[in-house]
Amino acid sequence: MAEGRAVETEGLERVFKGGIRAVDGVDLAVERGEVFGFLGPNGAGKSTTVRMLATLLQPTGGRASVAGHDLVGDPAAVRRSIGVALQDAAIDPYMTGRELLHLQAVLHSFSRDAGRRRAVELLARVDLEAAADRRVGTYSGGMRRRLDLALALVHEPEVLFLDEPTTGLDPISRLTLWNEVRRLNGEGTTVFLTTQYLEEADQLAGRVAIIDGGRIVAEGTPAQLKAQVGDPTLTVTLADGSQAQAAEDALRALGELLPCRTGTVALRLPAGAASLPAVVRALDDAGVAVAGLDLAEPTLDDVFVARTGRHLEAEGDDATAAAAPAPA
Amino acid sequence: MSPAVVQTAALGRRAVVGTLRTPQALVPSLFFPLVLMAIFTGSFGGAPGTIPGFPPVRGFLDFALAGAILQGILIGGTSAGSAFALDIEGGFFDRLVASPVSRTAILTGRILGGVTLAMAQTLLFLAIGVAFGARVEGGVRGVLILLVLAALLAVAVSGLGVILALRTGSAEAVQGTFPLFFALMFFSSAFFPRETMTGWFKVLADLNPISYLVEAMRDQIIETEATSATLIGLGVAVALAALALWAANSAFHRRLEGDR
Repeated sequence: MAEGRAVETEGLERVFKGGIRAVDGVDLAVERGEVFGFLGPNGAGKSTTVRMLATLLQPTGGRASVAGHDLVGDPAAVRRSIGVALQDAAIDPYMTGRELLHLQAVLHSFSRDAGRRRAVELLARVDLEAAADRRVGTYSGGMRRRLDLALALVHEPEVLFLDEPTTGLDPISRLTLWNEVRRLNGEGTTVFLTTQYLEEADQLAGRVAIIDGGRIVAEGTPAQLKAQVGDPTLTVTLADGSQAQAAEDALRALGELLPCRTGTVALRLPAGAASLPAVVRALDDAGVAVAGLDLAEPTLDDVFVARTGRHLEAEGDDATAAAAPAPA
Repeated sequence: MSPAVVQTAALGRRAVVGTLRTPQALVPSLFFPLVLMAIFTGSFGGAPGTIPGFPPVRGFLDFALAGAILQGILIGGTSAGSAFALDIEGGFFDRLVASPVSRTAILTGRILGGVTLAMAQTLLFLAIGVAFGARVEGGVRGVLILLVLAALLAVAVSGLGVILALRTGSAEAVQGTFPLFFALMFFSSAFFPRETMTGWFKVLADLNPISYLVEAMRDQIIETEATSATLIGLGVAVALAALALWAANSAFHRRLEGDR
């Protein structure tokens, strides 16, 4: 294993014909062993960045290394170190899952027997044993993604690139894939994950970079990013609306009061859940009867809104409608 | 064996298996040539030798067989091209490019698949022809030269298909060139000898490299001794194959550099 970070870029840039700056000076530093979330709306530059890091597209500016190998200077070493599962599971409908895995193993210089064994292992790993000898054309979307992931894992890559791995998947398939990503990361694989789903980044990524218009607009752990945007908000629903004044008096010392609906009291809680015992005690001491408590954390969408003035996820969060455009 | 050779063989095998499992790719290249051959043979009966300009053959089938073989290879070339375009559309191509696979093998694997299919198809057509009474006058030597010609032509047409795929990235666009291949064949001596043609049609057939290829193929079937047509055909085939490989390679590198 070569020295160096899993992914490191400095001023990485890709300008397409016609002057479109799809990626416009991106600096990233992904440590080994991380799950790094690369979050942004459609067309933000996520896929273009990943295509460059996967040696599929030449950068037009800046520099980058993957697993310690320079992207432009030694692309062959980069390719030996990475596994890639790009948008739209890249598989051949006329082959069976087992045949595709075996082919991929042979392409990675496995012997025929070693390739067969590896195919069996991976089919078990992604739970496709029963469908192994069926043509991929008959697979469901979730099965294709799992096979795509298995294909990316044939050579036990150091760094795994997953480009929108769950776009268009049903919730259960999505959970299955998330669990597999966690397991891989637990085994030491660095995962570079692009997504347009906030929840996916929140669930999986230790660190997140948000990209918009080809530039990084925010970077940090999900908790840090949310903390930059603001504090959690507590909303207390009162059993008896006439006690609003008493409740406000009791809570005033714990956090800044916020405007809210009648019958409720809202306040900013900088310490979040850690302040809840004090809140309950204060309300109890004041004799206020409580019907509900709701602690709302800022979301990554709030982070995105704060940095760009727009919401990240499309209205309705329609996963199928969000099918990304074909890479240029 | 060097990794590039192993990878070429593995990708070539996949190309063959993929085509055999795709009836819509396989059927036209078998069906059209055989049907045309049957129609021509049926309409001209058994005595083309009486038509001025025709070479002395025993029956029209002997004459038409080379045309059918050539037609099958041309259609096979568009299949290779559209299959390659499907790989590009579907992302299989990207997976290969992002893997430590020899760049050459990505290209030669697909062309090797086309060559293998073309040679198998040539043997099949010869067998069908013989079953219906044709005779390969050139014997074993003739069959071997036919296979070499088929392989070279397959390199040229698969190469052309691959170029179209790399430039357009669309299987539909590649399939759209199908009529072009047909035109190329009709304006050649695939179905009638150039000696029977006149005027602009003859000029086109004289200019069309396909004429020389089909005449070299036919030479193996109807002549006991190879004539100059064999040498000319082999020369044209080598030149076309080399040109197609060079052009496919440069289209491939242009695509890899993202300069499309």
